[in-house]
Amino acid sequence: MESLPLTEPVLLILLSLAGQPQHGYAILKDVERMSSGRVVLSTGTLYGALRRLLDDEWIERYEEEETPRGRQAYRLTPHGRRNLQMEIDRIKHITRLATLRVATKER
Amino acid sequence: MLAIYRKLLRLYPSEHRELFGEEMLSVLIEERSEIRDITRISEGRLFVRETAGLLMGALRAHFRAFTEIHEELSFVTGRFAMHNGFRFPKSTILFMALILGCVLTAIKKGQDIASSVPNVNPPLPVHIQPVHSILLGGMPLFFAFFYAAGLIGWAILYALRRSGAHRLSDVSTAPK
Repeated sequence: MESLPLTEPVLLILLSLAGQPQHGYAILKDVERMSSGRVVLSTGTLYGALRRLLDDEWIERYEEEETPRGRQAYRLTPHGRRNLQMEIDRIKHITRLATLRVATKER
Repeated sequence: MLAIYRKLLRLYPSEHRELFGEEMLSVLIEERSEIRDITRISEGRLFVRETAGLLMGALRAHFRAFTEIHEELSFVTGRFAMHNGFRFPKSTILFMALILGCVLTAIKKGQDIASSVPNVNPPLPVHIQPVHSILLGGMPLFFAFFYAAGLIGWAILYALRRSGAHRLSDVSTAPK
């Protein structure tokens, strides 16, 4: 079961699906691009995470018209989007707090 | 290289292979076709990353399948598994006591039967206690030890549950 806080790869996978439905290879490339090449997922890791997210109903399979064989798109479910928003709020709070604390210390 | 990936995909549980096998292979093919035109080093790096990822993924998938079986079993038998929504049923103590009682009764009955049968063996020149009687004497102690260990384990788990430690992972630091 995925629980908050999310790991960075899972967060990036969810962010990749936040805009539009994507298939496996597009997610891999998007994650790499979003993290400026810092997070490079292997296929095994990606599908392990997708499996968990599917089981927990954070994402769902998305049927596209004329999908090539072996390609399956995924998209966020409302439940997944809500959890992603909660995680973003959490990160925002930490960032705000960290900025405040560091600024206070520097004075 | 693809042949190796195919072989590694066979390490996954069949259910995972049916769901994602073709997709995973298609991603591996796409990745490889992109990298082949660059250098041998990047191709080698991709191979190492994917091989390690597939091996670890297969291991995790098997572990997941194993724990799912246990969760399903726990649903049938009454939540004995150690997962997030863990609740140890109080009836466990009763069942443990019942099992211990049955074992001790069986041992006692065995000893009664043994003593009721006339001893046809010739007497031993020196007093040596037969091995089975030593074992029978030690048996209740053996079971009592495991019973006590089980009780202590149950008490620890129950105390942890009462303390709410298992809910710590759900705590959010975000403002309401």
